[in-house]
Amino acid sequence: MAEATLRTAPLDKTRVLQWLQTYGVYAGVAVLLVVNIVITPHFLSAENFRTQAVQVAPVIIVALGMALVIGTEGVDLSVGAVMALAASVTALYLGYGLLPALLVVALFAAAVGLANGALVALVGVQPIVATLALMVGGRGIALVLLPQLEDLRNPALASLGSGDILGIPYLILIATVLALLVAFVVRRTTFGRQLLAIGDSRPAAQLAGLPVRRVLIIVYTVCALLASVAGVLATARLQASDPTSLGNLMELSAITAVVVGGTPLTGGRVNIAGTVAGAVLIQLLTATLIKHDLPPSWTQIAQAIVIVAAVYAARGRGKR
Amino acid sequence: MQRTTHRPRLLTRPGVVALAAAVVLTAGACAKSEDDASKDTKPSAAAGAEQKAVAPKPGSKSCTIDAYGAEKLDLTKATVGFSQSEKEANPFRIAETQSIKDEAKKRGVKLLTANAQSQFSKQISDVQDLLAKGADLLVIAPLNSDGWDPVLQAAAAKKVPIVTIDRKINATACKDYVSFIASDFVEQGKRAADQMIEATGGKGEVAILLGAAGNNVTTERTKGFKERIAEKAPDLKVVFEQTGDFAREKGQQVTEQLIQSKPGIKGIYAENDEMGLGAVAALKGAGKKAGDVKIVTVDGTRNAVQGIVDGWISGVIESNPRFGPLAFQTLDTFTKGEAVPQDVIIQDSAYAADNAKAEIGKAY
Repeated sequence: MAEATLRTAPLDKTRVLQWLQTYGVYAGVAVLLVVNIVITPHFLSAENFRTQAVQVAPVIIVALGMALVIGTEGVDLSVGAVMALAASVTALYLGYGLLPALLVVALFAAAVGLANGALVALVGVQPIVATLALMVGGRGIALVLLPQLEDLRNPALASLGSGDILGIPYLILIATVLALLVAFVVRRTTFGRQLLAIGDSRPAAQLAGLPVRRVLIIVYTVCALLASVAGVLATARLQASDPTSLGNLMELSAITAVVVGGTPLTGGRVNIAGTVAGAVLIQLLTATLIKHDLPPSWTQIAQAIVIVAAVYAARGRGKR
Repeated sequence: MQRTTHRPRLLTRPGVVALAAAVVLTAGACAKSEDDASKDTKPSAAAGAEQKAVAPKPGSKSCTIDAYGAEKLDLTKATVGFSQSEKEANPFRIAETQSIKDEAKKRGVKLLTANAQSQFSKQISDVQDLLAKGADLLVIAPLNSDGWDPVLQAAAAKKVPIVTIDRKINATACKDYVSFIASDFVEQGKRAADQMIEATGGKGEVAILLGAAGNNVTTERTKGFKERIAEKAPDLKVVFEQTGDFAREKGQQVTEQLIQSKPGIKGIYAENDEMGLGAVAALKGAGKKAGDVKIVTVDGTRNAVQGIVDGWISGVIESNPRFGPLAFQTLDTFTKGEAVPQDVIIQDSAYAADNAKAEIGKAY
């Protein structure tokens, strides 16, 4: 009898932790929604949800790329710099029209992604170091190209930032489509499987004959491209290109969203739905504290608590 | 086996790097921004925009060359070193550096410049370099107030007078440095409050978009604003204070949250122009009309003054970055052997609906 109870107690704990890791982030979002509906005036309005969704869309898009990179047991610190680069390149080439400008942005982002991927896959530099170089250098290039904030008045760009289809802003639609696309790639394609296999064990993947280098280079390029999409959307929303401050600390927001969403930093697993929920959780948390006019330092403390809780849950799972 | 398959790839790598570098370098060449044709290089010293000093209060301390312990010299034959704190990426720093350069050129003074790129250790070595290169006089825009002892000692050993602009150094005036030239940030906050009271009629709820945390500009502009509101318009309530980090995007995001949770807000005080313009973007996005929410900002950049003309911004308090004329005038007077005030406070002007259109040329 006594033996049986002893055995079930720790089992329950791991079960709780496992549940927390898988569903904790959704529970967190639900709790925040309920709390806000009760205590925050004017929270339950379409306009409010629209604002939160529009604000979180760029973070989600960056976090999607980050989730892929983290799935390969890497990390990409250069995403914020890529956003800044996208902003300044958009401003520089907007004279040719929106579409050509976007193509040039994609070109620049792909170059950064290729550089990251080449450093990681070919040269064998650790991801954190390789992308750190581009994090510093990328913003430097962005500032060389466009030394100061520039207002943009292109109507096509403005409608990209504030227009909508049937009341749903383009930003939200784009983020949703990209999230579904990335989730599909991770779950249903060979490429997704290869990516996770590399994250699980790169030597094993190499020995199994997987195209490790190619997959890694593609993953870093995709991550940079997604970051540039976020950069263009944020620029479109602001209707100004601000390479000095756009994307500042975005790498940390994205990593937070991914980790809180239940994707382990050790690679081999990617949780896209969780990543989206993680970004939403942080957005709601920030919004709650701002709406109640609490000091900004509280937001940072609250974020820290969420991260620690997420990491604790992840640790419980890892030990099993 | 591994090694041999690696080699050829290794050789292609410098090629890739060179290609990437070439792409970046040529990118600027074929760029075409929206308004290439209309783009004008703003004149740094627009007519009537140069700084004027507030008349020093009677009894305020002054400094002479004898008290400081330096030697008289002719400014036109001297070399002046200028150390800028932050990279010239925002209108304030651009106008500040340009003004120093223009004034040096006008007076025919040899100028050495350095930029610390927001790194304090670099600024210390920058100033030491300037001294080593033979600067006879120094103009410093300090990044921090503390930690200047090594520089001050080196300058004192060479008897080089120092004038600091826009931020103060924590040291003894007329011993470690000659004068400090800057705006009065508390006063800027007070004047912003006056504009806010006028725009809102002194009643209702207002919000503050704070600058970066832990910055004396933020604390002083907040202090002045709140003091004046409490004193003159007790019916005006500050119900919301959140940081926008002096950046446009952050100002936009915070304002979006604000107008959702407090739809009855009457005014927004932004502690710099960029956050104020972010607030304008947020209000536009929420479908508000110009003038629904009164916005008062501090700085006096061209975009913000244009905002007044367009009706979105009610008032802009200027923080004049054109330190060149005043800094060189102070140095000139001082090196001739005459007394100069230890604290030179700049007279900042203001823009509102009545003068914005006429004086937009003065904005930077």
